[in-house]
Amino acid sequence: MTGKRRLWATTAFAGAIAVASMAVSNAYHQQLLTVIGIHTLLALGLNMLMGYAGQISLGHAAFYGLGAYGTGILTTHYGWSPWAAFPLVLVAAGAVAYVIGRPTLKLSGYYLAMGTLGLGIIGHVIFREWDSMTGGASGMVGIPPLQVGGTVLSLGRSGMILVWVVVLMAFFFCDRLVDSRIGRALRALGDSQGAAAACGVDTGRLKAVIFSFSAVLTALAGFLYAHLVGFISPSSFDFLMSIRMVTMVVIGGMASIYGSLFGASVITLLPEWLHVFSDYEMMVYGLVLMLVMIFLPQGLTRGVLDALEGVKSES
Amino acid sequence: MADRTILHIDGVSKAFGGVQALYRVGFRVAKGHIQAVIGPNGAGKTTLFNVITGATCPDEGRIVLEGMEIQGRPMHELVARGIARTFQNVELFASLTVLENVLVGRHVRTRCGLVGAMVRWPWVEREERGARDAAMELLGFVGLEEVAHKMSGDLPFGWQRLVEIARALASDPRLLLLDEPAAGLNAVETAALADLIQKIRSRGITVVLVEHDMNLTMDISDRIVVLDRGRKLAEGTPREIQADEAVMEAYLGRKG
Repeated sequence: MTGKRRLWATTAFAGAIAVASMAVSNAYHQQLLTVIGIHTLLALGLNMLMGYAGQISLGHAAFYGLGAYGTGILTTHYGWSPWAAFPLVLVAAGAVAYVIGRPTLKLSGYYLAMGTLGLGIIGHVIFREWDSMTGGASGMVGIPPLQVGGTVLSLGRSGMILVWVVVLMAFFFCDRLVDSRIGRALRALGDSQGAAAACGVDTGRLKAVIFSFSAVLTALAGFLYAHLVGFISPSSFDFLMSIRMVTMVVIGGMASIYGSLFGASVITLLPEWLHVFSDYEMMVYGLVLMLVMIFLPQGLTRGVLDALEGVKSES
Repeated sequence: MADRTILHIDGVSKAFGGVQALYRVGFRVAKGHIQAVIGPNGAGKTTLFNVITGATCPDEGRIVLEGMEIQGRPMHELVARGIARTFQNVELFASLTVLENVLVGRHVRTRCGLVGAMVRWPWVEREERGARDAAMELLGFVGLEEVAHKMSGDLPFGWQRLVEIARALASDPRLLLLDEPAAGLNAVETAALADLIQKIRSRGITVVLVEHDMNLTMDISDRIVVLDRGRKLAEGTPREIQADEAVMEAYLGRKG
């Protein structure tokens, strides 16, 4: 996107957030929008890795959990202020991801999928079994809410605005990133690793860097989740969550920043509307993934746009 | 002579399992020359290319670029040191525009990192503008300025090859390796390519090409190395090569 279009898109998006934050007063809708915002951050973070750099991760729930548990532990067990925990948690997520990513991302295809799957499982086991710190299977309660000045940002209007302002900023910066030296190298890497290396891109390092960046965005979502909901348990950061994230990216469209919003909305709203899903969620995601990959491999957003274009040119 | 050598291949061997792809191959490439490497299929040309560009490490021997041993060094480091390459089957980045492809070629000559890309400090903006100017100049050099903003995959094959050459030139190489640049081109395009390669040389860039097209190699090369079954069969000027009976038998003769 060029600078001008980026400015327009950001302004329009900011306007939409402002309108929605005033118009939506139903508590349930506010909560739903908050969750969609958090999921959008997750989808965006994974999309930077999967969509642009072409590297899959089936273990990103570990970084989501790292953000949530990290701040949960620091604020409840050690009495830190959330704002003090904030930079530490993000830096920790980025550093852990870099150290793990450097060797893991030497793998590709199925092997990378298996490697990251293992990472996700290890994360989940730690969240569930480290009783003294994480509260084990029953989770952690009493995570303090965020405060700005004297205002408490809780689940409701203030929390919703906070989350969406963060989403807006994440969109803005990711969009800039994609349209830069690093972004071009990432997309080149996604197209052909061999050719990217022949152009002088240090592919091993770049993959670890984007894995780390993606983990920071994911941990940021976890941080917001922990402080807004105030309660976390390992089941929110399990394998199903990782799959949900992948599904959001695939539905929204690989390598599409605004598509992340769409994918996150679909995956958040579908189970709300179709309660029969609850027991079969995994199956439904599997089915959705299969159908999208077969019929609309570029994602629903792109796919539907292309289909509309096709109809238009035929008539 | 030694000081005019930009690349010295010194006794390089490489085996894959039981196949000896290269056996003690050695030659020098002089600065400012156009040097061709020819040979029948399976002669080891591609392996030689991969060894020079750092894609594979030789089992023995040295590769010396301007006095420095470079065998086994990672590819991105070699690009930074001034070696650029193109691919036999043209490997453009299909999801990038033509201009963006060339900009990726500029990667090693620019510095902006992840944070810089998001914050866009003034120096990042300057660097980006400089890179875009350089990339546009190169697109003009290969004659494709007007398609700069098209998706690279939408271009006809011959143009894609030119974009790939522009992308390789964007890293300011001192040594450009072209892997069968005439493959898939028609006669007119091949003639234009010959001109372009000579224009590249006059920019002070040494060119090494692996090629099947005999007309192209004989016309523009200063020196030719002939490989056959992993060994160097002959080396000399195009005239000497054409007069060499062993070469005739191994390569030209077979081609009829």
